[in-house]
Formats: sequence, C-alpha cells, structure tokens
Amino acid sequence: MLVVLLGLSVLFMVEPVVEDYPDDARVFPQLTAAVVFIGSVLLLLRNYLPEPLHMFVAESVSIASTDTSEIAEGEAEFEEPEPADENEEYTKETLGSQYGYEVNETAFMVVTAILYFVGGWAAGFLFVTPIYILGYTLWFRVNPVISVVLAVLGTVIIYLFMTYLVLPFDQGHIFDFSPFLPLLLDGVSAPIIGGGP
Amino acid sequence: MTAVEAFFEGLSIALSWPTVGWLAVGMMLGIVLGALPGIGSPVGMAIVLPLTLPLDSTAAIILLAAIYSGAMFGGSIAAILLNAPGTESAAATTLDGYPMAQNGLAKNALAIATTASALNGFAAAILLIILSPILIEVVLAFGSPEYFLLAILGISLITIVTQGSIVKGIVAGALGFMISTIGTAILSPRPRFTFGQFGLYNGIDFVAALIGMFAFAEMMKLATQKQISQSDLDIGGSVREGAKTVFKYPMTTLKSGLIGMGIGMIPGSGATTSTFVAYAEEARSSAKDGKFGDGDPRGVIAPEGANNPTVSGSLIPTLSFGIPGSGSTAVLLGGILMHGLQPGPVLFGEQLHITYALFISLFLSNVLIILVGLTVIPYASRITEIDTTLIIPMVVVLSFAGAYTLNQNWWDVGAVIVLGILGFYMVRYNYSVIAFVLGIVLGPIAEENFFRSLQISGGEYTIFVDPVNQPLSFLLSFAIFAVLFGPFLKGRAQRLLDRA
Repeated sequence: MLVVLLGLSVLFMVEPVVEDYPDDARVFPQLTAAVVFIGSVLLLLRNYLPEPLHMFVAESVSIASTDTSEIAEGEAEFEEPEPADENEEYTKETLGSQYGYEVNETAFMVVTAILYFVGGWAAGFLFVTPIYILGYTLWFRVNPVISVVLAVLGTVIIYLFMTYLVLPFDQGHIFDFSPFLPLLLDGVSAPIIGGGP
Repeated sequence: MTAVEAFFEGLSIALSWPTVGWLAVGMMLGIVLGALPGIGSPVGMAIVLPLTLPLDSTAAIILLAAIYSGAMFGGSIAAILLNAPGTESAAATTLDGYPMAQNGLAKNALAIATTASALNGFAAAILLIILSPILIEVVLAFGSPEYFLLAILGISLITIVTQGSIVKGIVAGALGFMISTIGTAILSPRPRFTFGQFGLYNGIDFVAALIGMFAFAEMMKLATQKQISQSDLDIGGSVREGAKTVFKYPMTTLKSGLIGMGIGMIPGSGATTSTFVAYAEEARSSAKDGKFGDGDPRGVIAPEGANNPTVSGSLIPTLSFGIPGSGSTAVLLGGILMHGLQPGPVLFGEQLHITYALFISLFLSNVLIILVGLTVIPYASRITEIDTTLIIPMVVVLSFAGAYTLNQNWWDVGAVIVLGILGFYMVRYNYSVIAFVLGIVLGPIAEENFFRSLQISGGEYTIFVDPVNQPLSFLLSFAIFAVLFGPFLKGRAQRLLDRA
C-alpha cells in the first residue's frame, strides 16, 4: 500500500514539471502529492523515527477521548482486522473445488468483474451480462434455476438502462451484435429497442 | 423570497407527486439496504446515485436522503435479530438489542428501535427547520479562504473521529485531493495527468469513485461470506409493548436525540460516534438500576434515538459548507453536486425552498418509518438470509451500468474497479476511506477556493492565518491545528504529568 502511495505521489509531483504545467494547474496537485509523499515516508520509516515524531506517526488518537494508545511496533501498515465473526472464515463450495481447484473468493470476484468490464467494452454489456451472472453464480454452485432467473433479471436491468437512458449497451468497441437484437427480441419492433449514437 | 415563502414552496414540493412517491421508494429501499449487513446506506446510495440522473434535482436529493434515513432504521433489524449491524451506526444497538431478542423480546426491541428512531427523527427535522434562519447568517459570513479551510478541517475531523493513525488519515484525505486533480485543470484549460487519454479529460467522476469505494470494495469484502448473516432466531415479544416502552423513558429519548443531532452537526462525525456516545451516556447515567448489556430497553432507545437525528444534524455541515459527516452524507453531497446544486449560500438563499423541501421530506420519511417499520417487523429477519453469491453479481452489474451512465465513459467504469480495489486495501490497512472520498468530492471546491484566496491576497499564504483581516480564517486554521495536534499534545502532557 505504501509503495503504491509513494509511486503515485512521486508521479503527481514530477509529471507537472516534466510536462511544464502552468502554475494554476500545478501547485495544488503538487502540494497534495507532497503531503501524501511525506506521510507515506513517515509511515514507512516510523520504527526509525525519533521518539516525539514516532509517537505522532504511530499513535492512535481519538477526539472522543484524550487517551492515546500506541499502535504496536511494525503493525501500523500491515495490521489486518480480525474476522468479525465465524461467517467471514467460511469457505464457499465452488465448481472449481469439485475438480480440485481452490480459488480465493475475493480474487475470483475481482477477476470476473474485470472480465465482465472488458467483455462489456468489447461486445456490449447487454450480451455479456447474462454470461457473467450465469458464470459467477454457477461457479458458486447456485441452483441453476435461480442463476437463470438472476441472469434474465440482470439483462432486463441493462436493457432498461439502454432503452430509457439511451445507452449503447448493445454495441461493443470490437464486436457489434446490435443487428442481432431484433432477432433475439422476436416480436419487438426495432425502433423502440434504443441504442446509442 | 422570504424564509416563510420558501418554507411553503418547499412544503408544496415535498408533498407533490412524484416527489412524495420517490420519498416512499427511497425510504423502503433504505430499510432493505440498511438491513443487509455489509451493504448499508453508503453502498445503496452510491448505486442509486447515477440512476437519479433523469430525475428532477429535488426529487433526486429527497430520494437519496430517504434511503439514508430508512437505512438508519433498517440497520437496527440485523443488529437486533442477528447481532450483525446492517450499518456501522447500528453497532451500538447490538449491545442490548440482541440480548433482548435472545430473551424472547425481539419484537419489543424492533418496535423500540422503530419508535425511538422515528420519534426523534421528526423532532430533529422540525428543529432543523427552526434553526435554518440562523444557519443562513453563518453561511453568508464565509468566503473563499474559509471554504478552503473548512474542506481541510472536515478531513482533519474525519481523521480524528475515525480512530487510528492521524498520518494515515491525512494521507488518505490528501490522496483524495490528488486524485480529484486528474483531468482538465479548474482555472486553466490544461489537461493534467491524462497521459494523452481523451477519456480522462473530464477527470474521474466522483460518483464513479463513490461507487468504487463503497459498492465494489464492499462486494470484495462480502465475497468471502456465505450469506449476509446466518441465524434461526425466532421473533418473539410484542410490538405494542415495545412502542410503549419508548414513552416510559422520555428523558432517555430526548437526551439521545439531542446527542445525535449535536454530534451530527460536527463536520466529520457520523452516526457511529453519536450512537455510541448516546449509549455510553445512558449507561453512565442509569448505571444504578440498569442491566446494560443484558437486554436493557434503554440500551436500544439511546442509540436508536440518536441515529436519525444525526441524519438531520449532519445535513447542516453538508448543506451549509459542503462538508459531509459520513460516507452516506458524502454520497448525498455527491448527488447534490451532480444535480447542479451548490452547497453554501445558494442553498440557503435563492434555493432555500429546495433545502426546506429536503427537511420536510425527512420529517415525512420518519412518519413512514413508523408506519412501515411496525408492520414489517414480523418478516424482518428474512432480508438478512440472502446468499451473497446472488447479491454480488447484481451489484457489480448495477455499479458498472451506473458508472457508465454518468458520462458514457469507459474510464469511469474502470475507475470503479481500480478505486474499489484501492478502497478494499485502504480498509484492510486502516486508512480512512471517508477521508479519501471526502478528498475526491471536495477536491475541486478546495482547489478553486484555494486559488481564489491566493488571487485575493496577491499570492500571500498569510490570508489563511491573518487574525486581524481574516479572523474567521484564523479561527479555522487554529481549529485545524487543534484538531490534528490537540489530542496528541494533551495525551503527551497527561503522560508527563502521570510520570511526574
């Protein structure tokens, strides 16, 4: 986390100099980046700071009380909250685990969301949404009937977005399946389907 | 337009159709979202925010405020029945609410929560209307340096209120400011940090950032949970007896309401603080005859009586100075800005009728909470048994579609993912997400007022600390210093005294 913060703050301090931003576009981002940079360096080096500064960087302070308690050495950055209850320790049964593949649930959620985003950009959310919802729910072994119902519901939501907010969710940047839409929606006339410019 | 005329215009707006319909929808949605631990009002509001684009600005703000208000009550359902608060602010309710449910008084506890929350909610809404003429005077005294310093003060207060390292809070707020500078500069047409990508010229939409930080990050967290909560608790007790209990303790109800509203008015503090303070105060003052922690009804009245007045209280800094008190008010502020409304003098001047409409809607939503809350109690626990595997893909679909709706820009959808991952790790490593979000939301306002101040002073930074010519700025600068360093210095002094 600190490495990311340091990298970002250096970028925001250097870029305006390299690209020669005018003063009114440069000062504010550089000032804020400087704060992030100094704060991150202090957090990174907190164990080597002299006592008064170390206390300021590592202490947990609350406005509600004057009682201050020091964060344990080396814990400030890498501390992780303890699970709130046994619910958080639960491991879900997945399609992968059936075949011996164990995938972290959070990682699976993020990767599938990124794939959904890329798929939506490439082929349009309207066509990718049912695949994403079906894939996600079936991976976690949800009842197939419920999966299909959710996929239909998600697609209807996207379709409503597309129709009422005139968004091009039926068109992708690589694949354009919009001409097939009237065929899929047999009986629905093309002009009311919507679609973007 | 006089305040009285504005009030009656606000009243007619709040009672008009479809505004009143959106109020009911928002309140119902809020109760459901609030009852889902891990979802809560900020996530729900963030998802709904882009969907309000086609709505009239007043209706949209009322819808969001109603979700917030409804979620405050909804959070208590899971807190009482499952010992898993739907919102952070309902955490204090678990202390006595869950033991009451275990003692077979779940309906009593839910009715107490409904009655105390709604009763104090509409009392606070009335007080808010009464206080607004004074607020107008205060708001009009603020200029550019004061608005800039208020933004800094807001982040500083959040840093302190959310316990942890001060430096981490400051870093999170400054990071938010930093991210807000991506895109075309405010005072010159120079694109910044866009790296030649035309899609970044408008910057990262703060609504997309809110969706990412609240909705996507929360789904990452929920991904490891089977269902929202697991409990087979039977709902016993009496709704009528529960509602009556609130009137048996009028001082507890009144005191918690005042605590809630007072703490809500402090920029940077939220219902989480107010509910715990109200609970602690009640436990302290009733220690002799209380059974706090074992199902004392006053342990439910106090936090629930404080939560909804906090909503009213937090609207004061949000609408007056653009400084939200919590994640939910940060999203509400996002909605206000997205719909072209400007917090500050305008909302208390030419747009005062909109402000009054919002206050009156809060009053009405609390009436609805009583009506709906008391009737849904027997079915309340069903909401929290939903499998997270069903919720996550739907929230992701809504989040992406909502983010794209903002500007029809794929960068906004990408920002949801990137900032969602960032938010997830910020929570894990104890960085204040609220300070970060506040930084993003207030960044453009802070930058604009920062430069205006420097233009006024001819580039002199002393404009922020000049006690003679800018006494208000000086006071605010002093307040920032006191907030950031006061507890630390006081703690150090106390320790030295103890050693001595």
